[in-house]
Amino acid sequence: MTPRSGPGIEDRGLPQSSVPSPHSSILKFFASLKLTLLILAALGAAIMFAYLSETPTTWVLAGPLTAFALNLSAAVATNPVFRRQTALLVFHLALIAIILLIAAGRLTYLKGQLELAEGEVFDGQLMQEESGPWHQRQLETLRFSNDGFTIDYAKGIRRGNTRNQVSWVAPNGQIQWAVIGDQVPLVLDGYRFYTSHNKGFAPAFTWHPNSGGLPVLGTVHLPAYPLHEYKQAIEWTLPGSKTPLWVMLQFDEVILDPAKPSEFRLPAKHQIVVRAGEERRELKPGEAVRLAEGVLVYNGLRSWMGYTVFYDFTLPWLLAACVLAVLSLAWHFWNKFSAKPWNKAA
Amino acid sequence: MTLELELQTLWTALVLYVLAGVAAIFGVALQRKPERTVLALLVFGLVLHTASISLRWDRLGHGPYITMYEILLSNVWSLLAIYVLAYWRIPAIRATAAVVMPILFVMMGWLLMTSPYEGHLPATYHTVWLFIHIGFGKLFLGSVLVAVGISGIILLRGSRYGGERFVSLPDNSRLDELSFRFMAMGIIFETLMLIVGAIWAQDAWGRYWAWDPLETWSFLTWLCLAFALHARVAYKVTPQVGALMVLAVFALAFLTFFGVPFISTSPHKGAV
Ligand code: HEM
Repeated sequence: MTPRSGPGIEDRGLPQSSVPSPHSSILKFFASLKLTLLILAALGAAIMFAYLSETPTTWVLAGPLTAFALNLSAAVATNPVFRRQTALLVFHLALIAIILLIAAGRLTYLKGQLELAEGEVFDGQLMQEESGPWHQRQLETLRFSNDGFTIDYAKGIRRGNTRNQVSWVAPNGQIQWAVIGDQVPLVLDGYRFYTSHNKGFAPAFTWHPNSGGLPVLGTVHLPAYPLHEYKQAIEWTLPGSKTPLWVMLQFDEVILDPAKPSEFRLPAKHQIVVRAGEERRELKPGEAVRLAEGVLVYNGLRSWMGYTVFYDFTLPWLLAACVLAVLSLAWHFWNKFSAKPWNKAA
Repeated sequence: MTLELELQTLWTALVLYVLAGVAAIFGVALQRKPERTVLALLVFGLVLHTASISLRWDRLGHGPYITMYEILLSNVWSLLAIYVLAYWRIPAIRATAAVVMPILFVMMGWLLMTSPYEGHLPATYHTVWLFIHIGFGKLFLGSVLVAVGISGIILLRGSRYGGERFVSLPDNSRLDELSFRFMAMGIIFETLMLIVGAIWAQDAWGRYWAWDPLETWSFLTWLCLAFALHARVAYKVTPQVGALMVLAVFALAFLTFFGVPFISTSPHKGAV
């Protein structure tokens, strides 16, 4: 048997004075430390299961986590150990807070993707997104502009630092600038915008429809570069028309040299190939092509950047709860160990 | 500075470590106490090992945390540094060197078999959080390693041979208490490692937790550690069972630190 410090496990139930009632025995069951062991094991098993299964199965964590929170709350409510040891109490309360905050975060988060060509302003629309059922959307009101980026590449086309200049209008009406990338997101109203490894070339066009409407300016985002280096072509439809258009970027020079360090940049010389049905045209910046439904002017080449956006209001609270947990745990062990040297018998 | 010099310095350090380990093992087998020799050899080894790491750091311009070689190189260093500290400060458990050094020998052998050429530093590694994250990880693993050494003695005492060799050490219940104090330090450091890792992940990849292989395995290690600490307060766990739980935590942690990056070739692969 291990001589243990502190009171034995026997006297850790409800206080002696309480009259045993059906309620207290249920509570006692829920507060059991042996149940904690079972729950910790179940949580480990659920994580393994979710990790090994091919399809998203994070729901298996919900059961053990709920049991975890119940067990912990019951123990905090009834176990006299927590009355005697404040640090231990604070630690376990922080654990409950962490679980509740994670649950709140899952209910209210938003995660999405967007792409902006250089000079383009975010209009609140995402290409792809997922969010918790209680997410209160404020994204539509947010605006920022992608003012261009540079990315270093090491030998062997290894991506280095990304520096993306962005600007936006602060609530006081002043224009703000920042350089984001790698470690630094742009944070607007709690929405965090991160650059991604997804980026490429974006030919910019002006479309003058025959119908006489206003000319439309737009960019076409070609497949990511250098990921799809040899597939710099895409099919798209002109605004207000049904004609599918095929666009390809052609250039000869080496942008990212595997033999030496380089930088992501636009090719110095290039041309755009546009194909609509049978018609095929090569365009240089400033040139135009007449199509059945209007005139398409090629303005020039730009870059586009892919962003991920993440919203989770719990982040600072979660960090605070985690820091509180670890500090109180250290405090608990400090109290416990400084009370008695390890080599003195109980 | 060349790779050759760096490797020669490292090999000399490894030879000193091996001599220290052999002296410690013979010390137990012959019931002698070559403690000063062992300590001196380990400290000299550490000095040279530090020099080798410094040369590399200076040459490459980044710390040893990219390739498998670097991960092993720096972890053998930190594990030894923490162990040497415990060895020096707690004379009663110096016999644990006979348990700890063979574990480190395995890592040293592995280190010698990995390629020492440089890897590519991902852009997301340019942050101070990386150092703090790795630092806590090393403190965690070092604390658990000391507990493993003590647990090894408790388990070896189960045999007659071990029982005779380790009579002069404190009794099992005292050793168990000490080993779990190191486990308590371990959970503090691992919790800090996870928190800092989450801060870094949020900044670098826009999510604080995504169950990537390293995140999953390190959380399982954390759970296992919580389980071991609770089992000790929920049941009257014998020192032997306590020792086995320590070994289980170490095995999981070992897998997380060296198995997962080994399978996926770079830490946080897929996310960098
Ligand atoms: C279901 C959830 C949990 C319950 C009901 C629970 C309950 C308890 C109780 C009652 C004690 C006091 C034991 C005593 O000294 O008599 C305790 C101690 C402790 N708990 Fe928990 N706990 C839970 C989860 C966790 C988790 C997830 C951790 C993670 C690290 C943890 C870490 C600790 C530690 C470190 C101690 C102190 C052990 C010691 O002093 O040696 N607990 N817990």
